[in-house]
Amino acid sequence: MAKSTLVISRQPALGGPGPREALDIVLAGGAFELPLALLFAGPGVTQLLAADSAALEQKDLSANLSALPLFGVEAIYAEAAALQRLGILPEQLPAWVTPLAPDALAALIHDHDQVISI
Amino acid sequence: MTTLHLFSRSPLLDADALDGLRWVRVGDAVLLTGGAVEALRPGSAAARQLAQLPAEATLHALEEDVQARRLQPERAVTLIDYPTFVDLSVSYAKVISWT
Amino acid sequence: MKFAIVVLSPPQAPSSRRALRFCEALLAGGHELSRLFLYRDGVYNASHATVSGQDETDLPARWRDLIERHQLDAVVCIAAALKRGLLDENEARRYERDGAVNVRAPWQLSGLGQLHEAVQDADRLLCFGGD
Repeated sequence: MAKSTLVISRQPALGGPGPREALDIVLAGGAFELPLALLFAGPGVTQLLAADSAALEQKDLSANLSALPLFGVEAIYAEAAALQRLGILPEQLPAWVTPLAPDALAALIHDHDQVISI
Repeated sequence: MTTLHLFSRSPLLDADALDGLRWVRVGDAVLLTGGAVEALRPGSAAARQLAQLPAEATLHALEEDVQARRLQPERAVTLIDYPTFVDLSVSYAKVISWT
Repeated sequence: MKFAIVVLSPPQAPSSRRALRFCEALLAGGHELSRLFLYRDGVYNASHATVSGQDETDLPARWRDLIERHQLDAVVCIAAALKRGLLDENEARRYERDGAVNVRAPWQLSGLGQLHEAVQDADRLLCFGGD
């Protein structure tokens, strides 16, 4: 039985290579059909918002993100508390991400065999 | 699955350096290393965050980091060396680095 | 036990030295270090070109020594390395970066698949980053 890996992506959107480098771990694992989940936590939830990355001459990651289900990664979550802290409403989120309240988040963290936080 | 929660970011630099403490459950252990040992500085805001840990979660800190900063913790913490760090990582089913 | 170790911080960060010291301790304790994987700014630990002051610790040299002594599987994520200007001979040739070869044996550039393989294969995974 393959070990399950949870990748936690905490870096804010547009702030550096973190978001891309967290996502790349997930995409690589998906390509190998490994059991994976991706959690956007803390400042990382800003990666889920619409942004104009071209204004900063940065790559737009939204295409990579929406490709996740194609790589077999459907377990994509966002920390509900972080969303609330930033005033982000559920309507602003893409359909493929599920907000998680603290108890569900704790279960996610504890149930995965390995956790990598970027 | 028991977990060793490893902290290494300084609460002096990042407000959410110790954010992972929220996920510590009874039976888990916490290890403070590097700048995270600042949470042992008595009276600090980070020390208050640590105080919220469940009593049944054991608290450890890397001795070299506590000594280097000449900290005198006022709460119960086990100071450990690298061989013990390795042993801890073996005794818990997984290690989460809250980087 | 079999350990997979990931380093995310550059050699100047105390967390990178901690990673090295942890690796030394796990090997001294009779455990196996199945793979050492550098990612994010951790790729800088593989640089052959860093110059440390006489009174400073030369972490890249210490990593090379550890890897050679124990014949460790030491991998640098190629994507993270290239964008940070860390190239081996093949990549320097491929991208026509004359003379910019700063990743050499015992380090090997490879993909994130190697990270996943290490995670699947090892009993324990430890990531070192932060301060």
